Amino acid sequence: MIPGKYRSVSGRATNNVNCGLHLVIQTSSLPEKNKVEFKLNKDTPSFPGRLLQHDLERNYSSRQGDHINLVSSSMPSFPILQRSSEEKILYSDRLTLERQKLTVCPIIDGEEHLRLLNFQHNFITRIQNISNLQRLIFLDLYDNQIEEISGLSTLRSLRVLLLGKNRIKKISNLENLKSLDVLDLHGNQITKIENVNHLCDLRVLNLARNLLSHVDNLNGLDSLTELNLRHNQITFVRDVDNLPCLQRLFLSFNNISSFDNVSCLADSTSLSDITFDGNPIAQESWYKHTILQNMMQLRQLDMKRITEEERRMASILAKKEEEKKRENQKQSLLKEKKRLTINNVARKWDLQQRVANIVTAQDRKDSDSPSQDPCQIDGSHISASPEETGSLDSGLTSALQGLSVIDSHLVELDGDTLSLYGSGALESLDRNWSAQTAGMVTTVSFTFIEFDEIVQVLPKLKIKFPNSLHLKFRETNLVMLQQFNALAQLRRIDQLTIDPQGNPVVNFTLWKYYVLFRLSHFSMQKINGTEVTQNDMIMAERLFGILAHVASSELPQYRLISILGDARKKQFRYLLETKGKKPGIVNEENNDSKRLIGENTNRATLNYTTRDFYNERLEEIKEKKKFCKMYIEDLVKEATEINMKNEALQKLWPQMFIELVRDAVIEIRNKNSYMKLCLQQITDQK
Amino acid sequence: MLSPERLALPDYEYLAQRHVLTYMEDAVCQLLENKEDISQYGIARFFTEYFNSVCQGTHILFREFSFIQATPHNRASFLRAFWRCFRTVGKNGDLLTMKEYHCLLQLLCPDFPLELTQKAARIVLMDDAMDCLMSFSDFLFAFQIQFYYSEFLDSVAAIYQDLLSGKNPNTVIVPTSSSGQHRQRQVLGEASMEGVEASLFYQCLENLCDRHKYSCPPPALVKEVLSNVQRLTFYGFLVALSKHHGINQALGALPDKGDLMHGPSLDEELERLLVPRSPGLIQLGHASPEASWPAFPDPSRLAPLEALHHIPENDGSTEETDD
Repeated sequence: MIPGKYRSVSGRATNNVNCGLHLVIQTSSLPEKNKVEFKLNKDTPSFPGRLLQHDLERNYSSRQGDHINLVSSSMPSFPILQRSSEEKILYSDRLTLERQKLTVCPIIDGEEHLRLLNFQHNFITRIQNISNLQRLIFLDLYDNQIEEISGLSTLRSLRVLLLGKNRIKKISNLENLKSLDVLDLHGNQITKIENVNHLCDLRVLNLARNLLSHVDNLNGLDSLTELNLRHNQITFVRDVDNLPCLQRLFLSFNNISSFDNVSCLADSTSLSDITFDGNPIAQESWYKHTILQNMMQLRQLDMKRITEEERRMASILAKKEEEKKRENQKQSLLKEKKRLTINNVARKWDLQQRVANIVTAQDRKDSDSPSQDPCQIDGSHISASPEETGSLDSGLTSALQGLSVIDSHLVELDGDTLSLYGSGALESLDRNWSAQTAGMVTTVSFTFIEFDEIVQVLPKLKIKFPNSLHLKFRETNLVMLQQFNALAQLRRIDQLTIDPQGNPVVNFTLWKYYVLFRLSHFSMQKINGTEVTQNDMIMAERLFGILAHVASSELPQYRLISILGDARKKQFRYLLETKGKKPGIVNEENNDSKRLIGENTNRATLNYTTRDFYNERLEEIKEKKKFCKMYIEDLVKEATEINMKNEALQKLWPQMFIELVRDAVIEIRNKNSYMKLCLQQITDQK
Repeated sequence: MLSPERLALPDYEYLAQRHVLTYMEDAVCQLLENKEDISQYGIARFFTEYFNSVCQGTHILFREFSFIQATPHNRASFLRAFWRCFRTVGKNGDLLTMKEYHCLLQLLCPDFPLELTQKAARIVLMDDAMDCLMSFSDFLFAFQIQFYYSEFLDSVAAIYQDLLSGKNPNTVIVPTSSSGQHRQRQVLGEASMEGVEASLFYQCLENLCDRHKYSCPPPALVKEVLSNVQRLTFYGFLVALSKHHGINQALGALPDKGDLMHGPSLDEELERLLVPRSPGLIQLGHASPEASWPAFPDPSRLAPLEALHHIPENDGSTEETDD
């Protein structure tokens, strides 16, 4: 008679087992009683066969209820199990106590040769009272409430230990189970893999549905073939390469996000089957080919066979990734270098500007001005009083020199944009640019370079980069409207960008109109990003048209020619000739051509020479001026002398005239003697 | 030609007064610089053109500052050229900063010094807030005074400083009848009140004008300026000078303030430039002869040849293609 509490509740279709009078047999039950079927039976002969979790999870029925007697023992909590002797003989090596509502392991007496023990679906909290079953090979404690692995130390023959769906927090107390073949700990609360290193015969280890966050400490499991780690929180996998026989590794539904975290897998030569589905890594675009590329030995990924095609694709893609990474690295290195260089150039420019400012301030102020502020230069920590400004300059220049040791200029060609930083960059225009690359450049940008220096290389720019249509200037010290005149010599400009930073000219109200006026023959389309409208052009002409008119038509010829130089000489000679020939008559045809020429040349006299050139020229002229002065002085002296003499003559002349007349009259008074005198003079002449 | 007053001066002085030598020297210098080009069409022609341009006042265009400053006629021509070229800017109503005006000046004279522009701006702004915007007419008249009479103004500034600090420069002057009288009138430095007393100031200025040979405003007009006020500051004086139309007329470079923007001949020229560029629409008309462009400076101050020349606009040369 079985106490009521051990009667199971019927209602489960196939899998019920009961002790006592109620006996439920499996679906395919035969009318004969006492036929029991152990699923396990089939497998028993070749015990170490494939024991998949699925099979283990399915309950097998057994029918032993009739013959089981659970008698309360002397100890109040432990019932004692007794079987009828027929049972014992029939099923001498197996005992099923499924769904018996056991809360403790009963004491099993007289069953020392038991080999299979099944405690599935109970409420057992501790493994106890089985130490005597030293022949036990198969122990199934699935779906209980066990909190700690214990009480197994005598079961040295144990091969299959099923502890799934319990409350085990720690793997422990398995030291003596050296023959363990299958260890199933799924559905527990295990956080760490430990104390399994001695299980050198273990083939299947199931740790699914636990709380593992990383995988390591797997050394020693020399026979492990299958490792199930599904549904954990794993981010790292290590030590897998120490498992020489591992063929199948299930990592589905974990937290693996990068292949580096599972890099040991690449070193495992035995792995052929792996699953990563449900991990963040599986969502990545590079997932498949990275895995395939790194684990050439794989045959199945996520339960799907890997084809040759896939492998090939993977290696190609992986190579591309590698290259892209390398490219990116190179790019970022280059960018960094560029940034440093630009910073360097900027600093140098700043220092130069400060020096220039101090110099001009000094020029303006006379030396006796008392109120000169001490100058403080942040960059070089020099503070100077007026007396020390000499040393200030030298301090700054030495700071400047120090900077130039590092790269002091930068030239960057990026598709259609050529960027030049620092005045040293202008020399790069001398380089041999291939016609193709040079032809592609449409934008040229100048930064941290004095505009006057740029002006000097504009002819080179015109030749080497004929398609440059857009010029950008930043920190180039554009201060005068006049400087824009220099841009007229280029072939064509469509867009002009003058950055306000470092270009004071932008602060003027009229600068845009002046640019449009002076460079009207370019028909520019955009200035500083804004479209040029017809109104702008008209306004520009209105404002400065007279200037052009004055500059062309009111300059004397020789001035025009000297300013414009050879190129225009022909045009103007033409103009000269026509003017000479047709002084008041206007010929329609001539007017046209004149007008066309006029458009280009009427502002051509508006030139820009850099300050240095200008001063040079003035210097050169000084010599000539001196000479002219002397020459004129000589002329004047001569003229005044002559004038004086003339005046003197004017004064003296009346007197002289009277004397002349008187002398003549006196001479002729005596006719005869005069005749003789004349004759004598004639003979003397011979 | 042979008027007695002309023969009264010795040769050099006569030449110097008329600055003839300056122009001669400059002409020869230009000749030297451009001899290849000029030799093409003849030296005589060159000299004709040169002196023509001197008369017309176009000789100073794009020349260096030292030349522009050299003679009063040059200065007046420069002022006039500046007015003509940038009158439209004024007409447009734009107010510009001192730096921008300086830029415009530099368009015509590349090495024009900034100090002069600054001084002119100070007159307009009464030495206050140098970054303020100024109107074209204000700036132009102030600039005229500053540029044309720059040496005079420097001396006036010195005198003013002296007066302010109490020194009376009259005490060191070569005695003339007027200063002899006023030696007793020692006005103590009234630094507490602003400026200096107008009449004393005028005495000093009068001496200045007598003493120096560079151009001064006509003393009578200066007296007129000073007679209206009891006391005045330096910049007040300059502003009054600049706004006085009599002085402007005496100078002769610029028209009256009211007519500053007015110049139909140039306007017509401008209109022609703005006509859309199609060859068929070329206007062939000449400018109307009654152009109200005021006559150029007093003929008495210039070479007599000038009086024989037409004002250029009235030639057939208004067509931009000529000249």
